[in-house]
Amino acid sequence: MQNAAIIPILFTAIVAVLGLLIAMRPELTIARGGKIFAFVALCILPVLSVWAGFNAQIERSTSTQFCLSCHVMNDFGQSLYVDDKSYLPAAHFQNNFVPRDHACFTCHTDYTMFGDYKAKWRGVHHVIVQYFGTIPKPADIKLYTPYNNRECLHCHAGSRVYEEAAPHHKTPDMLSRAASNQLSCMNSDCHEFVHDVADIGGATMWKPKADGQ
Amino acid sequence: MTGPVLQRKIRWSGRLIVIGLVVQMLSLLWTHPLAFLCFALVGCPLVGAGILFFLYSLVSHEPA
Repeated sequence: MQNAAIIPILFTAIVAVLGLLIAMRPELTIARGGKIFAFVALCILPVLSVWAGFNAQIERSTSTQFCLSCHVMNDFGQSLYVDDKSYLPAAHFQNNFVPRDHACFTCHTDYTMFGDYKAKWRGVHHVIVQYFGTIPKPADIKLYTPYNNRECLHCHAGSRVYEEAAPHHKTPDMLSRAASNQLSCMNSDCHEFVHDVADIGGATMWKPKADGQ
Repeated sequence: MTGPVLQRKIRWSGRLIVIGLVVQMLSLLWTHPLAFLCFALVGCPLVGAGILFFLYSLVSHEPA
C-alpha cells in the first residue's frame, strides 16, 4: 500500500461508517438534523470519497510497479536495466532522467490536456486484453502510433545539452524539424535502440548497488 | 422523510453505498490493474447507484 492512499482509505472508511449508521438506523432521518446528516452521509461525502479514491487510483496507476504488474511487461521492465547507454529507456532510468518509480508513465503518457486520461484509457484496453483477449508476445507489442517527439521535448526542449549537442546540428534545421515532429528522435538512426525486448536475453544487465528496484 | 417505505429505501441506498465504499477501500489496498478495474467497474457504480436511489427516494416520496 502506498502512503499516498492512506488518506483516501481512511476517508472512505469514515464515510462507510456514516453510511452504515444511516442504513442501520434510517429512523434517524425523522428529525431535521437527521435529514441533513443523511444527505451529507449518503450524497455529499460518498461523492467526495469517490473523487478522492479516483485520484488515488490514477496516481497509483502511473507507478512503474503498476505497469510491470502484468507478466507480459516483465521484459520491458528488464530492458530498463540493460547495461548499455545506447538503450534509451535504460539510460533514462539508470541516470534518473525519469523518476524510477514512474518511469513507464513519464515517457508513455501524452503531454496534452487529456493525455494522462488517454494513457489510462489505453491501459484499460490492455487489462481487457490481458484477461479476456490473446496476449501478444512481448516482442510483438508495438506503440499505437509512432512515438511523438513532443513527449521527448517535454523535458529536453530548452536544455543546453540537447540544444548544443553536435549530433543535433548535423543539418541546420534539425532541431526545428524535431520540434515539429517531422524528424523522429527514434526512427532516424539516432536514438533507435529503445526497449528491444526480442534481444533482451543476451543483454548484460546493470545491478543497482543500494536501490531495491 | 418519515414514512416506513422511505426509510426502507434509505436503508437500501445506504447499503449500496456502503458496499461500494468497501469495494473502493479494498481496491485502494492493492496496487494492480485489477484493483483499478474493481474500483471503476464495481465500486463506483455501486456508490453511484446508492446515491441516485437515495435522491430518487427523496423526490418520489409523497408525505401523508
